[in-house]
Amino acid sequence: MENINFVLSGLGGQGILFMTKLLARSAVDKGLKILVAETHGMAQRGGSVVSHLRVGGVKGSLVRAGSAHILLALEENEAYRNIPFLAKGGKLYANAPTTSFPREEVRPYLEKIGVECHSIQASDIAAGLAAPMSTNLALLGFFSAFQEGPISYDELKETITQVSPDRLREINLKVFDKGFEWGAV
Amino acid sequence: MTQKEIFLGNGAIALGLLEAGCQVVTSYPGTPSSEILPEVVRLIKSAGLNTYVEWSTNEKVAFDNAFAAAVSGKRAACCMKQVGLNVAADSLMSAAYIGNMGGFVIISCDDPGPHSSQTEQDTRLMARFAKVPVLDPSSPEEARQMVAVAFDLSEEFQVPIILRPAIRVCHARESLTWGGLKNNEQKASFERNPGRWAATPRFRFILHGELNGKLKEIGRRFEKLDPFNFHDLKPGEKYPLGILAGGVPYSVVRDILSDEDRKDIPVLKMCAPHPFPEGLAKEFMSACEKVLVIEETDTVIEYFLRDSEKVLGRFSDHVPSEGELVPEVVYGLINKTLEGLQMKGLSSDGRQSAVELVKGLELPIRKPTLCPGCPHRASFFTIRKARPKAIFTSDIGCYTLGINLGGVDTCLDMGAGITMASGFYHSFAQDQVDQPIVATIGDSTFYHSGTAGLLNAVYNDSRFILVILDNQTTAMTGMQPTPGLGIRADGTKGKMIPLERVVAGCGVDFIEVVDPYDLEAMNKLIKKAVEYTNDPAGGVAVIIARHPCVIAYREEAIPQKKKVVVTEDCVECNFCHDRFECPALYKDTDLGRTAVDQTLCAQCGVCLDICPKGAIIEA
Repeated sequence: MENINFVLSGLGGQGILFMTKLLARSAVDKGLKILVAETHGMAQRGGSVVSHLRVGGVKGSLVRAGSAHILLALEENEAYRNIPFLAKGGKLYANAPTTSFPREEVRPYLEKIGVECHSIQASDIAAGLAAPMSTNLALLGFFSAFQEGPISYDELKETITQVSPDRLREINLKVFDKGFEWGAV
Repeated sequence: MTQKEIFLGNGAIALGLLEAGCQVVTSYPGTPSSEILPEVVRLIKSAGLNTYVEWSTNEKVAFDNAFAAAVSGKRAACCMKQVGLNVAADSLMSAAYIGNMGGFVIISCDDPGPHSSQTEQDTRLMARFAKVPVLDPSSPEEARQMVAVAFDLSEEFQVPIILRPAIRVCHARESLTWGGLKNNEQKASFERNPGRWAATPRFRFILHGELNGKLKEIGRRFEKLDPFNFHDLKPGEKYPLGILAGGVPYSVVRDILSDEDRKDIPVLKMCAPHPFPEGLAKEFMSACEKVLVIEETDTVIEYFLRDSEKVLGRFSDHVPSEGELVPEVVYGLINKTLEGLQMKGLSSDGRQSAVELVKGLELPIRKPTLCPGCPHRASFFTIRKARPKAIFTSDIGCYTLGINLGGVDTCLDMGAGITMASGFYHSFAQDQVDQPIVATIGDSTFYHSGTAGLLNAVYNDSRFILVILDNQTTAMTGMQPTPGLGIRADGTKGKMIPLERVVAGCGVDFIEVVDPYDLEAMNKLIKKAVEYTNDPAGGVAVIIARHPCVIAYREEAIPQKKKVVVTEDCVECNFCHDRFECPALYKDTDLGRTAVDQTLCAQCGVCLDICPKGAIIEA
């Protein structure tokens, strides 16, 4: 299998690390090798948070600029900030207004390198289900509907079921499924 | 029975420690090292081991406690961040001469970037300075393997060994297979030998000679320390360029060369760089016309290579001398080097045009800020209000972010909030200038290195106000307990040592405790403290601003929630943004005034008392 590079971006507190963990665990459970790079410490307090996930037989944990196959962004500006990571033909999934994303200035570049953009108002979906802290799961569900990369909807769902604390399992799955529905239409 | 699990790099190190039979692990938290000890605790609980663990009060204390265990014949380790090793440097230098009985491994985690440190210093240089061997892992799995090698070498040669994982190892995650951890039965014993354990200068000369002998022998081992030190030269072949890399940059180089299918560039991996494997380096150098050295963060390997004609690196400006060597930087510098040597370049440009594009978007700069509800915000607001003309000396922790509220003027190192305050005081007093000074320091930092400075300030009659920001945890590094809580590293009960007692023990006579959420009470207390510091019979005044961290204590930290809103009385004067800087207060461009982000708001209600127009009210 070809190596697949993910970049996940957002703001401190949005659950970037949890989203990364779900993808990484799903990959490992199906026998794939992974490396993850995380942000901790001072850099985490309210700032931009990025994590990298590399699936396959790689040595370094960081994704090189220009080589991310998949960029998942929990906030619109954090999507733009990480555009330099995207590879030719990469895919971008963002929690952003579906009508205006991506903004005018970045379109020519993304078209030139053949990046496909998909956006979903994941915050609204999570808030609509009274789970504003689960925006990450709505975006992940949305992403899983496109069948891109090595991890499927079913595999992610299984991981969420396993790792969610009892009190959050049901709502986590609900938000994840709602995101999936948005992507599947 | 084995299991597969995704480990944090620091967890892989913890696993390596226990697999190697490490019996004593001490640490002081600091990014990127903080998770090692909690991971050790998790593993010893799950495997039922009797390993002794402690959060020590500082890195020197951690070092000495672990070192004594190793002198008694146990296997021991101390864990810290790179600047923590500065605190323990006195011990390190001496311990190198004396040596140990049981294996002794110092884990000092580097922070190229830096992401969460004052400096980008390179622990490998500290190893060279102290004359101890150092291992520099390129991945979590390798760090785990190196711990075992380090213990064996340390025990065989009776010398401390440093493992220096960089942040990309510490905070990487990798899937590892593990199981079957067992207690190590090495017993403590101590045989009197003052010539070694209490060596005087005459004996030190002898010990120094012995250390030099050990290093020579270990250097020979490092020549053949596969898989940490090796090259992939084909016998008899000559190359226009070779790359010598160690630690995290080795992984990056390997990935780039493999992505680009560049079999024409040989690599010498050097993850055990000191004592320097001279022969191995010579072998590689003689087969290559030029050698590009890629190491983090300083010039350890480059120094040893000496051949300035052949070596390309930091001295020749081929490699940047500051900042992290992230993959695109390494990619760029390899490409530039190939170009300079008129060799075939790499395939693409690393998307420089995209970087320029993003720069042009003027995206919001997201600087780290204190959390909504953070008690430090309330403290800084009041300190600044009560003493607007003061010099604000501060310290290392979350509260360094008080800089955003204009409440922090200096931040040097652990404990310097106090020592710089007394230094400023005497400088101005010498000129008969009455300069107000307010020092801030966190509770954990005070226990770490506040007492010596406070004793000194009291003894030498300095005059300033010290506010100890007591949030009852070590927040920045991940909520480790402090001596003020009396909870130990493994969750068991320890002796609680209240700040008040320690401060009194330093000779301070003015000690007052206040909840900083009560802005008025704190304001009054600062005024009272000012009088005390100005009184000829007074001295240093200490205010303990005590309120639990809202992240560590959650609901408990804000027992009375107050929902707040901003009314039309807001005139957008920016006072709340400049002086209070709460992430939950934002400028709503549609409304044309400040508003409250209710999803971020912690409902602490402190902002109800800050607006000059009274526009922030309870809903």
